[in-house]
Amino acid sequence: MSHDGHHSVVIPAPGPEFQSHTVAHHFDTPVQEFQSAKLGFWLFLATEILLFGGLFAAYFYYHQMYHETFHLGGQQLDWWLGALNTSVLLLSSWTMAMGVRSAQTSQKGKLLMYCGLTVLGAVIFLVIKFFEYKAKNEHGLIEFAHLFDGYNGATGQLSWFTDHDGVMAGVPHGHLFFAIYLTMTAIHGLHVIIGAGLIVWIMKGAAKGRFHAGYYLPVDLVGLYWHLVDLIWIFLFPLLYLVS
Amino acid sequence: MFVNLFQDPVNAAQGVAESVPQNPHAPAQTIDAWGQLPKLASTFGDVDGLFYFTYAVCIFFFVLIFAALLYSVIKWHRKTYDQPAASNVTHNTPLEVVWTVIPLIIVMVMFAWGFKGSLDMTNVPHGARQYKATAKQWNWTFSYPNDPVQSYGELWLEVGKPASFLLESTDVLHAFYMPSMRVKRDVVPGRYQKVWFQPIEKGEYHLFCAEYCGDDHSKMYAKVHVVDAVEYAKRPWDQWDDNNPAKGGESRYKALCSSCHSLDGTPLTGPSWKGLFVKDASGAIVGGQRDVFVGGVKETITVDDAYIIESIKNPEAKKAAGHEKNAMTAFPNLPDREIHGIIEFMKTLAGK
Amino acid sequence: MTTNVPAVDTHVAEPTSGRKNFLNCSSGFMSWAGTLDHKRIGLMYLVGVSIAFLCGGLFALLVRLHLWSPEGALFANADYNQIFTLHGAFMVFLFVIPAIPGSLGNMVLPLMLGAKDVALPRLNLLSFYLWCSGAVMATLAIILGGFDTGWTFYAPYSIYTDKAVVSIGLGIFLLGFSSIFTGLNFIVTVHKLRAPGLTWFRMPLFVWALYATSILQVLATPVLGITVLLVAFERLYNIGIFDPRLGGDPVLFEHFFWFYSHPAVYIMVLPAFGIVSELVSVHSRKPLFGYKLIAFSSLAIAIISFLVWGHHMFTSGQSTYAMFAFSFLTFFVAIPTAIKEFSWVATIWKGSIALNSPMLYTLAFLIIFAIGGLTGVILGALNVDIHLHDTYFVVAHFHYVMMGSIALAFFAGLHHWWPKMFGVMYNETLAKIACGIIFIGFNTTFLPQFIMGSRGMPRRYATYVPEYAPYHHASTIGAVILGLGIALMVYYLVASLFSGKRAMQNQWGGVTLDWHTPTPPPLENFDHSPSVTTEVYDYSVLDLETTRTPAS
Ligand code: HEA
Ligand code: HEA
Ligand code: HEC
Ligand code: CUA
Ligand SMILES: [Cu+2]
Repeated sequence: MSHDGHHSVVIPAPGPEFQSHTVAHHFDTPVQEFQSAKLGFWLFLATEILLFGGLFAAYFYYHQMYHETFHLGGQQLDWWLGALNTSVLLLSSWTMAMGVRSAQTSQKGKLLMYCGLTVLGAVIFLVIKFFEYKAKNEHGLIEFAHLFDGYNGATGQLSWFTDHDGVMAGVPHGHLFFAIYLTMTAIHGLHVIIGAGLIVWIMKGAAKGRFHAGYYLPVDLVGLYWHLVDLIWIFLFPLLYLVS
Repeated sequence: MFVNLFQDPVNAAQGVAESVPQNPHAPAQTIDAWGQLPKLASTFGDVDGLFYFTYAVCIFFFVLIFAALLYSVIKWHRKTYDQPAASNVTHNTPLEVVWTVIPLIIVMVMFAWGFKGSLDMTNVPHGARQYKATAKQWNWTFSYPNDPVQSYGELWLEVGKPASFLLESTDVLHAFYMPSMRVKRDVVPGRYQKVWFQPIEKGEYHLFCAEYCGDDHSKMYAKVHVVDAVEYAKRPWDQWDDNNPAKGGESRYKALCSSCHSLDGTPLTGPSWKGLFVKDASGAIVGGQRDVFVGGVKETITVDDAYIIESIKNPEAKKAAGHEKNAMTAFPNLPDREIHGIIEFMKTLAGK
Repeated sequence: MTTNVPAVDTHVAEPTSGRKNFLNCSSGFMSWAGTLDHKRIGLMYLVGVSIAFLCGGLFALLVRLHLWSPEGALFANADYNQIFTLHGAFMVFLFVIPAIPGSLGNMVLPLMLGAKDVALPRLNLLSFYLWCSGAVMATLAIILGGFDTGWTFYAPYSIYTDKAVVSIGLGIFLLGFSSIFTGLNFIVTVHKLRAPGLTWFRMPLFVWALYATSILQVLATPVLGITVLLVAFERLYNIGIFDPRLGGDPVLFEHFFWFYSHPAVYIMVLPAFGIVSELVSVHSRKPLFGYKLIAFSSLAIAIISFLVWGHHMFTSGQSTYAMFAFSFLTFFVAIPTAIKEFSWVATIWKGSIALNSPMLYTLAFLIIFAIGGLTGVILGALNVDIHLHDTYFVVAHFHYVMMGSIALAFFAGLHHWWPKMFGVMYNETLAKIACGIIFIGFNTTFLPQFIMGSRGMPRRYATYVPEYAPYHHASTIGAVILGLGIALMVYYLVASLFSGKRAMQNQWGGVTLDWHTPTPPPLENFDHSPSVTTEVYDYSVLDLETTRTPAS
């Protein structure tokens, strides 16, 4: 079918190593396209925050209700591993910001490098997280092998929470802290993985020269997403690791 | 399956009374003079007052809107295709203020009245009798002040005496609802809730479970007798007859066990009680054979009193084969004489 | 080049029979399944939500037939519980939430804004496929053993029951994101794609309503998402926050659920308000009374609705302060709604009222919604709600608003834009008859429920005390009448696609931009990018010629 009468707007490539960008047919100007996508993405970020908001609400509710449990639970986490991870993410936020900057200034090589560094940050974060989970597993605080084995109402035994060192003995419902810890960090970890995937996708586009001063919208949006992942961690860290 | 569709409701109701013995219906409620609510039998008259007030408001606005629409449609309906509107007015500030302020006033009255009424419902008067209602899927157990005997599926109260209930659930959410008393309160596992009212009229009343609680939610019914002081002093809830324990056992069966155990061999949530006890060649009643899982290992045992008692107090210890995936709620506090009565009742089933 | 709207548009006046429109511009499965065109996506939604409605309606009929006799006519109790749960879940999550924004909103919003499409067409298609996968998960849940929790999924029952709760939970999660993405898309579209001259206060009220709805969708739905996820986690690895055996609090679940689901009832009803605003104006050929107040009241409702969720939990044992606040704010929601209702009546007053089928449905809405809304206000009164909570009074209240108001507004909108979408007209006589049957059937079904509810008949009851039998009989008979009316409606609408008369370019004489494109609209909506120079709903510039020119 014809787009009769409508000429698509094309943003030219700034150099031979770049590609031009065609503005989607239903937009009149590149600015309109850029602003629409950006507004949409901010709204999406708001929904992400609200999604975590539900978890935070649950956290605060039970923190209030079982104060000692959360106090003691927080002590079982390695706060310095958490702090290390916080700095890794902060650093990766900076590299991501530099990546966006490089895209805006049509520096293809730097864009690739900064994105690569950000992905590296994500990997380091996940590796550290893995070792934290491993430690919890060994102490019987979160036994991943028995995660889905259920709860025995008659014996009151929760399959994944055996606490064989007895570190949570004496406080009510010790598993609650770890359940919330696991749920929050796992959902956050999932976001880290998705974010890293998106950055890899950006790198593929960048290698082909899709992003440059005239068109860097996807880089910008993925950058925003990565900052959100970082921001959520900034809240998780003190709540989980520093409660005590 | 469609048979019931064509049954006369009154006969059908009798059918219910037989097939669902734990659901003894009180006689139909009488309706109050205004014709909407069941006749008030407690002191919470504010509910009725506010209900009828808002009802009148509803009817007023409904008639107003209906009349305005009807009049418009008759008077100004389009007769020719090019007929313009009779008026193009889009604002009328006084009118708009009126139809904002009047509803505002009305709803504030409703708010204040409703709030006052609900405060009355939360402030338990001193000297109220302290009962306890325990809800579990799908029956009610009632405890009386300073009385060891509990009643199941039926409750006795004294007219004129404020009654306060501690509500407890051993499994999921339920709700304590007595339409005639205008009270309702959710029964939340892990929390103690309270509800109180003062019955002012003798009679029999419905107590429904109003919060969805699973399969037999609709059968979680109790009949409430409001009786005078003389009658109440006779402790009518204590109906145990030591001379006929099987009869008492049967009543406990109907109140507590029949939702999961049939008598005729039909498997429900739990195994049927048919065959627990059997008659041997000489006609003597002896324990039947049962396959059970003990710690996951299958064994065959001979039923005896000890097995039954264990099954009631600690059902997880030996799980009846075929039903090992289902859980039975334990009854650790069932008095010994009632357990004995249930066993006697089970023995009457032998050979049937 | 731009044409001034609504000046006489020669393109509209001269039918070029056989010109390409969005329906026939391309064909083949992929031209639909992979389309980015908002109108095609809207049509696919229309098919989807209609099927969901008919399934939900079928479950409703089973519910009603079962309740014919006090001990239940058709099913075992456990099966009945599944049927009413399926009914509620299908109607709410698959039908009433996506229905108007997904189908009519998608179809009409860009037209009304003078845009070529929604701002994010790919996201729009994704929303639709998320809806489909949610529907698949719901169906899968039925195959995997059904679910019997009620549409509210109250813990801890939803944690303990052995049914397929995880599957339906994930389904609702997907449906939630479908809804979020639609809302997000509409917000961006309204902000960024308005035609030149289309200022905020020249936007048709349907657009305003969808805008307010979208805000709610974006802000409330994520909480539902996390809530159903948490229930799924409870079942998968006993996280324990809603499970009293593990120290959790079931009442917290109720807070989570209603924090979404109360705003959700306005997600459902605001688009219906939008349709009604639009239709009372067009079919009375009169500018809307109190346009700005109606627009702002939508926003007011959207905001207040976040603060009243506790009115579903008056019997759950909240603190006195919480009850005070929730009840007080509940009454405040009624005020902007009252303003709307009165403004609609005032719009009709002294209009030029066309008694065609869309208008009949609209009038039915106005009458039924007054009852539905006012009975909601009764429920907001603290002590009265304690008596009426979880009885058929509540059931009747929400059917008056959800079936009697929203579904009827949806039907009204469907009849209104049907000629626009397909270029054909259905049989008006049958349409009027069906509307009458539906109105009578509806009231016969649900008026008795108010009565039995105030007499104490609890909801979600598979069996009941025989004294309520007469009301149940009336209700069941009403439901069958209602079903026949709906069957008739489905019949003549579908038949019109095959043998309907050619509709007019501007069938009802509307002046908003949706009536200023050819009928049915071409692929990119407008032959010339429109601009707006007149106020909204100004019928003095209506070109009656377009109401008598056949569609192309
Ligand atoms: C789209 C659906 C929808 C809509 C629009 C509404 C609108 C309203 N609802 Fe309703 N409601 C539901 C869907 C809806 N509701 C559902 C699904 C449930 C049950 C959920 C479940 O438990 O399964 C429910 C339950 C429910 C309850 C809880 C009952 C209980 O379980 O105990 C309450 C209590 O306050 C309530 C109140 C209201 C109020 C005050 C409004 C107001 O917004 C109404 C405002 C409208 C008017 C006021 C009418 C028009 C105005 C006039 C005619 C002018 C005159 C006005 C005055 C004098 C005030 N609703
Ligand atoms: C949009 C929402 C919506 C809609 C439109 C409806 C529509 C209907 N509902 Fe529904 N209902 C709910 C939402 C809705 N409901 C919810 C949320 C609940 C609570 C669930 C819970 O407690 O968890 C509920 C609960 C509910 C109950 C209470 C169950 C209980 O508590 O035990 C009843 C009982 O009468 C009922 C009846 C009906 C009827 C008769 C219709 C009718 O209007 C349906 C009309 C449609 C048809 C009749 C089908 C269409 C026609 C055909 C398929 C053609 C063939 C038919 C014939 C030829 C006859 N509904
Ligand atoms: C919630 C459902 C439920 C209720 C109520 C219930 N039971 Fe059970 N019952 C079961 C299930 C399930 C089993 C099988 C699993 C097991 O043995 O624990 C069972 C098993 C038993 C057995 C062993 C039967 C056999 O065949 O070996 C006895 C005895 C028994 N119940 C007695 C009672 C008594 C007495 C009551 C009432 C006071 C009662 N039950 C109430 C569910 C229930
Ligand atoms: Cu117990 Cu419903
Ligand atoms: Cu609500």
